[in-house]
Amino acid sequence: MSHIETISSFVKGAPPGELADVVADIKALTASEPNVVEELAPAFEKYNEEQFITLKLPGSSQPVLISPHNSLGGGRYYDVESSSSFEKASAVQSYVLEGAQTDLVKSTLKSLGAYVKEHFPNAALGAYPVESDSKVAIVIVANKYSPNNFWNGRWRSVYTFDPSSGNLEGQIMVDVHYYEDGNVRLLTNKAVSASIPSGTGAGIVKEIASTEKKYQEDLNKSFVSLSEGAFKGLRRQLPVTRQKIEWERVTGYRLGQDIGGGSSKR
Amino acid sequence: MAADPFDSALDLLRRLNPKHTSEHLNAIISLAPDLTEDLLSSVDQPLTVKRCKQTGRDYLLCDYNRDGDSYRSPWSNQFDPPLDEGGVGGVGPGGSEGAGEGAIPNERVRKMEVKANEAFDIYRELYYEGGVSSVYLWNLDDGFAGVVLVKKAATPGTNTEGVWDSIHVFEAIERGRTTHYKLTSTVILSLSTNVEATVGDMDLSGNMTRQVEQDLPVENDDSHIANVGRLVEDMELKMRNLLQDVYFGKAKDVVGDLRSVGSLSDGARERETQRELIGSMKR
Repeated sequence: MSHIETISSFVKGAPPGELADVVADIKALTASEPNVVEELAPAFEKYNEEQFITLKLPGSSQPVLISPHNSLGGGRYYDVESSSSFEKASAVQSYVLEGAQTDLVKSTLKSLGAYVKEHFPNAALGAYPVESDSKVAIVIVANKYSPNNFWNGRWRSVYTFDPSSGNLEGQIMVDVHYYEDGNVRLLTNKAVSASIPSGTGAGIVKEIASTEKKYQEDLNKSFVSLSEGAFKGLRRQLPVTRQKIEWERVTGYRLGQDIGGGSSKR
Repeated sequence: MAADPFDSALDLLRRLNPKHTSEHLNAIISLAPDLTEDLLSSVDQPLTVKRCKQTGRDYLLCDYNRDGDSYRSPWSNQFDPPLDEGGVGGVGPGGSEGAGEGAIPNERVRKMEVKANEAFDIYRELYYEGGVSSVYLWNLDDGFAGVVLVKKAATPGTNTEGVWDSIHVFEAIERGRTTHYKLTSTVILSLSTNVEATVGDMDLSGNMTRQVEQDLPVENDDSHIANVGRLVEDMELKMRNLLQDVYFGKAKDVVGDLRSVGSLSDGARERETQRELIGSMKR
């Protein structure tokens, strides 16, 4: 692997809200090659699009997001709701969506906005015509950063709706990083698909809402089953005797005799 | 002021996916070869298991029982593959501080090492009911030092995997009737599940490190094993609870902070009602 590939892989792996920290580390490790960060532009662009990075446009209270689905090329992206296009929250221009999927995009956005408001305290969303205006892509990204408490998290969901077949396909991904005196990461990826005969924006969002609800409930159950299953199976909290080991006696004893606690009544 | 490259390397490893620490470590080393030795001796990686040719028992490999490409078995005290100038006496006149250089403890410390391996083998069986453990000791000018290692893997369901690595590095500075112990413990815990119909891919991996220092009375060399045993036992209990909190409490809470299962406006209404109720009770 070349240095640029290696460093680009660090950028790709940056946890939610920690890209600036990762870049600072990269700079310190490549002090002898001061131009290396400039060469990372493609890696940053990819990171922004993969992670659905959000930004606030001047004079707007709602964040907009960056994804492969709303790229106009040349580092420019558009947002349907605000009818604008932008580069890095600057050079904002008017952008009016046109085309066959415009009505479906707008009705989806309306329902999606209401749903996201009810379930995500801090999220950005988007819906865009894709694949030559034949399908609609829907993106939700929610971030919560708490670096003072050493944790950050991101929820991403992305769907494609095909009006000709009524099929909805998508992916839900959760990324949580906890790093106080350690480094713990939760990474999830769930593929979902559904059929939406009505083909309406409201119908699509209703399906997304129930899919994401079920997913979160399954994820919560999975935390419990990992804790009760795999985790418990690795190391007991206490020996079977429910007593700590009597170390003074251990060296004189062999396994099978009673050393985990004082009782010899078996 | 430019940041120290070593600190930056450790910071980077604290941020990148802990499931792939070894790969990230190698990548950082390729960028900054000067840091190789410092990083290899301070970054804990998942342990590897090897079978002792003399005794047929499994033991764990780490930087502390390594000499070049050879590793010393705690059961036979032999290096595999054998060293050119093997056997006892591998310790230079400067003692074996730092190990990782073919360090073989002197006779007294090796005796403790043998007993410590037996004791922690029992500990491992009682707490882990399986897995592999190894203890390596080496001499210091004013005492001795060591590492207690435990590894356990479990596959409770066909779709679920778990691996636990404990790495307890300690120093015992002998001061007459008491000894000052300094323990640095790392647990590397990796859990993953894949159930397509429900949760899909879920990976919970990471490592946590904690330190403790304590002065404890010592009567004889067996006291050292009991003291270290208790320190490690208490630390592992603490860390197991901590891991449980972070992996299954904190991580789940953050997901709940990102997305609320219930409706946010209903939740806000309920809190408002509750506030009014409490307010009316105070009146």
